[in-house]
Amino acid sequence: MKVISKENFADFINALIVDGSWNVVGVKSKGNKFAFEPLESASELRLDYDVTLLPPKKYFFPQRETLFTYDLSNGFSAKGLTAEAKPTIIIGVHPYDIAALLQMDEVFSETKSDPYYFEKRKSSIIIGVNIQNMSKWCFAPSMGCATVEYGYDLMLTDLGNRYAIDIGSQKGEKLLEKYAQHITNALARDTQLVGQKKREIVNMAQQKLDFPAELIPELLKKSYEKSEFWEKHSEKCLSCGSCVLVCPTCYCFDVKDNPDLSLERGERMRTWDGCLLEDFAKIASGENFRPTKPARYRHRYFKKGRYLFDRFGFISCVGCGRCSSNCLPDIANPVSLFNDMYHQIPDKEMLMTAVTTPEVKIVTEENIDYVPRLATIVKKVPMTASEILFEIRLNDDSELGHKPGQFVEISVFGVGEAPISVSSSPTKKGAFELCIRKVGNVTNKLHTLNVGDMVGVRGPFGKGFDADFLRGKDLLFIAGGLGIAPLRSLFNYVLDNRKDYGRVILLYGCKAPHELLFGDELVALASRDDVEFKPTVDRCPEDEVWAGNIGVITTLIPQVDFDPEKTFAIVCGPPIVYKFVIADLKRKNVPDDHIILSLERRMKCGVGKCGHCQINQIYVCKDGPVFNYAKIKGVPEAL
Amino acid sequence: MKPKVAFFDFAGCEGDQLQVANLEEELLTLLGHVEVVSFREVMKEHSDNYDIAFIEGSCTRLQDEDRLKQIRKNAKIVVAIGSCATIGGINCIRNYKDLDEVRKTVYGENAKLFDTYAARPINAVIPVDAYVHGCPITKDEFLHVVKSLLLGKKPDIPNYPVCVECKKNENVCAFERGQFCVGPVTRAGCNSCCVNEGTICWGCRGLVDNPNENAHKEVLIKYGLTVDDAISKFRLYFGWQEGKK
Repeated sequence: MKVISKENFADFINALIVDGSWNVVGVKSKGNKFAFEPLESASELRLDYDVTLLPPKKYFFPQRETLFTYDLSNGFSAKGLTAEAKPTIIIGVHPYDIAALLQMDEVFSETKSDPYYFEKRKSSIIIGVNIQNMSKWCFAPSMGCATVEYGYDLMLTDLGNRYAIDIGSQKGEKLLEKYAQHITNALARDTQLVGQKKREIVNMAQQKLDFPAELIPELLKKSYEKSEFWEKHSEKCLSCGSCVLVCPTCYCFDVKDNPDLSLERGERMRTWDGCLLEDFAKIASGENFRPTKPARYRHRYFKKGRYLFDRFGFISCVGCGRCSSNCLPDIANPVSLFNDMYHQIPDKEMLMTAVTTPEVKIVTEENIDYVPRLATIVKKVPMTASEILFEIRLNDDSELGHKPGQFVEISVFGVGEAPISVSSSPTKKGAFELCIRKVGNVTNKLHTLNVGDMVGVRGPFGKGFDADFLRGKDLLFIAGGLGIAPLRSLFNYVLDNRKDYGRVILLYGCKAPHELLFGDELVALASRDDVEFKPTVDRCPEDEVWAGNIGVITTLIPQVDFDPEKTFAIVCGPPIVYKFVIADLKRKNVPDDHIILSLERRMKCGVGKCGHCQINQIYVCKDGPVFNYAKIKGVPEAL
Repeated sequence: MKPKVAFFDFAGCEGDQLQVANLEEELLTLLGHVEVVSFREVMKEHSDNYDIAFIEGSCTRLQDEDRLKQIRKNAKIVVAIGSCATIGGINCIRNYKDLDEVRKTVYGENAKLFDTYAARPINAVIPVDAYVHGCPITKDEFLHVVKSLLLGKKPDIPNYPVCVECKKNENVCAFERGQFCVGPVTRAGCNSCCVNEGTICWGCRGLVDNPNENAHKEVLIKYGLTVDDAISKFRLYFGWQEGKK
């Protein structure tokens, strides 16, 4: 540990500013509050602050960030991540915010690493400061985040006329060597004083959990179904998102296109989003998968205390208290909520014994690439009044390389990106097919494009159907409406490898005959003796002709005989279909793990980061969209 | 062929059209994409042959309805611009008063000559395809809406409150400054421009789709407003949306 006088510390900061090779930011006063802002002089620093308006994550994951710029004026060009001009030095970071950054590092590196975050994060220098004044809302001591032992390059402790400096990294040490003068080694009394100060910090909190924070995940588990509890706590929620937007561990974002006035150039950008906002889980068709205030309110606590705990092994709250202090109706304080929850549990001993820590191994496979590959529409087949089958070829002539059931993010530059399941089997080479219904901006625009027009493609993403595992099994395909589109990728794969599979049955239902998709292909199935095909329509209007079954999809299930032990049911349709189809399959004694589903959600980033497609602890884009029913039947938001 | 564009005004201050006129250089770029056939504030010519109609101002008289219906008939796309047109705006304050009194206040002894009825937004009379909210509208959002229409997409108008933008802009909350604000129930999209300048949100963009009005009135009262003051905060812009017709 080192010691520096306050005058010499000011000289050190001023030297960093004058040097010009750093973007020097620190805590300054802003009105009657504090904020991290660019420093013009060390005298602006307010290291005695209580809490800043926003956490320092804004330097690595800014409120608004360009993912790439595009130019369509001369063919197409896109420019992705551009290097920051200067690395950032952040001065005055409190330990809880350091703990939060360490969590963000894991979130942004899990499976796919986010280069936009790490490019800035890795070059930065964190100069922390131990808390001198604690916000009245802060409960960092309860969360074990009032002090930290690592995660900083330098850590300051105010000792009156001097700062003790704990060196946390070589980067920090070199910075001191180059820019600071008159640094001395800490004397024993200084080291003791620092220890004493750190112990005092723990006792500064006015907000305290009445129980050890380790119990939070278990406590939540016991409270999910208590709808009265969630309704009571969320009644006054304004759905303003303040609690999540100021949170140092929140990372959800939205992705948007922003064309300039030329309409040919523009950017795709991402911007902070929040799961408390009403439309967070709403998809283009208008369906909102988390439509009520109590459900959104609960999701926030579960994401912090349970879902991320299961995924990463930490509780995603560091106790900074920003959410509490920013909530006007005073309902966002985790301490009040968790204490209330705790006191309602009659058997507290049980809670303690139930605590288990998940085994977590964070693996980074590759970097995320937000810049799509260019592709060309090579064929456009109208199927119904609202669906068109597009055949798309990647411009570099490579194969998409997808598995049946996977999806792509398709881009129309200037309009945006939409997740679409691949409709063609991987056995079809050269180009792939997407069956696209016009329901939102991107799909409406796609419908106006013509053969030869260019689109962007990212992916394939997600977990598809396990065609190898299904080999030798009897397959019962059940598709409702547009659900035939993702199923077709597997169905056609199976037909192309017909001898590898047992019986193949396809039940397909839509609202009326004119809504039937892939009509020609389905008619051709009738001439095959190795496929059993039964279509149905909910109703047949007078001016249409229909010789087959009339009734909803479930009316077909009793009409087929199959061995539930040998058969795997593969189901895809609008949300309502699952509920009834699964019930009917259960009636036929199909085991849970013989039911395979493909789910639809708002898959915005496609790589398990943006948070929009989350159903409880699951990211549909990454852990799905194909799921085994046995694995998700206990996931309350899934079906 | 470039889409033909026309501007129309009803009861309002024409401040929104002024914002469009103030686009200056950007207006010239915009003219590369559209042809303006009617815009009283900046040109003499007028034509009834247009694709996109931008309408400013509230509908305040029965006879205005005919004109609005004619515009709707002529245009493929109708865009309401500014609070008076999008949500009824401050014109609707008078809906809380006796309309005869209102007429007398404005026209004195000639009041009888001027017909009137409860002020209302454009979509209370004709279907509206897109909205540029605000009092006045901002240039950026006007351009966003125009670009979206030209690209054939639905403009991205937030359905979350101004608080979201205040937080992103790292503003000190108006309530923390001892002021009172209706940002928590007001539709964002203005980039919290008023609060950024140290004032409050007055609510000019109207309520979000599902505002928690009662909870916010409680907040206003908790922070020290009287019930009457809290109610008048809501009446400034939200009159029509709160059902005062």
